[in-house]
Amino acid sequence: MKQTVVKATVGRKQGSRSSRRLRAEGQLPGVVYGLGKDPRVVAVGYNDLRDALKGAGGMNTVLSLDVEGDSEMVLVRSLDRDPLKRVVIHADFLRVDPDQRVTVSVPIEIVGEPLIVLEAGGIIEQQRFELEVEVSPINIPDVIEVDVTDLEMESRISIGDLSLPAGVTTAVPEEISLITTSYPRVEAVVEAEEGEGLEGEGVEGEEGDAEGGDAEASDDADGE
Amino acid sequence: MLMPKKVKHRKHHRGRMNGRAKGGTQVSYGEFGIQALEPGWITSRQIEAARIAMTRGVRRGGKVWINVFPDKPVTNKPAETRMGSGKGNPEHWVAVVKPGRVMFEMSYPDEATARVALNKAIQKLPIRARVITRESGFDD
Repeated sequence: MKQTVVKATVGRKQGSRSSRRLRAEGQLPGVVYGLGKDPRVVAVGYNDLRDALKGAGGMNTVLSLDVEGDSEMVLVRSLDRDPLKRVVIHADFLRVDPDQRVTVSVPIEIVGEPLIVLEAGGIIEQQRFELEVEVSPINIPDVIEVDVTDLEMESRISIGDLSLPAGVTTAVPEEISLITTSYPRVEAVVEAEEGEGLEGEGVEGEEGDAEGGDAEASDDADGE
Repeated sequence: MLMPKKVKHRKHHRGRMNGRAKGGTQVSYGEFGIQALEPGWITSRQIEAARIAMTRGVRRGGKVWINVFPDKPVTNKPAETRMGSGKGNPEHWVAVVKPGRVMFEMSYPDEATARVALNKAIQKLPIRARVITRESGFDD
């Protein structure tokens, strides 16, 4: 099995200041854990990891982490991001064994055109974007395809309807919906909104008074 | 408009808005979201205005999620009132938002239309915000 090799170094200093300095040097702080072994604090090249995860496997690419000559087979378990800059600031690597199944989230991809639904003026709604599957690390599918060509209005595609690749199982209940259909709420919504807006004004005042009254009572109670 | 059904305390202190959002910083339900870039108070009216802008922006379907709830009462003193005599009356409700918080989410098949609708919704808000998409890979 072909694995992407990513070089990692050990012995980095821990803590926010040291990590920030590492990031400034183009390194990404990370940790390797799993398979009952001790965790190792590592640093990998930011661009190396980004390039390694750009393939078809995406985030589920099995990596060969070269930790100073010691090779470990890992999956990226999670990436921490800066919420504002949206860059990755830390990576968790999970050690995997080709003989042991792992739980990974695989993206769900819609294929085909739901012609029957579109002709009826309906839309399809994707309820889940990923599916948690149990699979051997060497057989992780890139995507799980869901064919919506024969989808009809008022019908849905649930987990049980999926044809998962060989060796792939999921613990997600079969009745959970993946794709549903609905009619778009168009003009009626706008009218209702306008109506609501006007009503809302009146109701708000009343509610405000009621709220005030209620709260008064609670304040009094506090005072007592 | 959104407001609590009942409250434990009628009047709140103003509080501080230091730091960044602790959670709710990713798009969780839909495909696109509006992320706050500044701290601020978002009133229930502004939330409603943004919601309407989004739903009208995507006339043909789509789904909208509101991730913030205005649970903080804001008081005002009546006009031409002398200072003192206690705190004013609760006038409206606000949601406290910190930078990074994803306030609204939307799912819609066409990204361009969704972005236009979300940008219109951003115009209704009192803070700087941006449209973000669901994270799917290393570089989003």
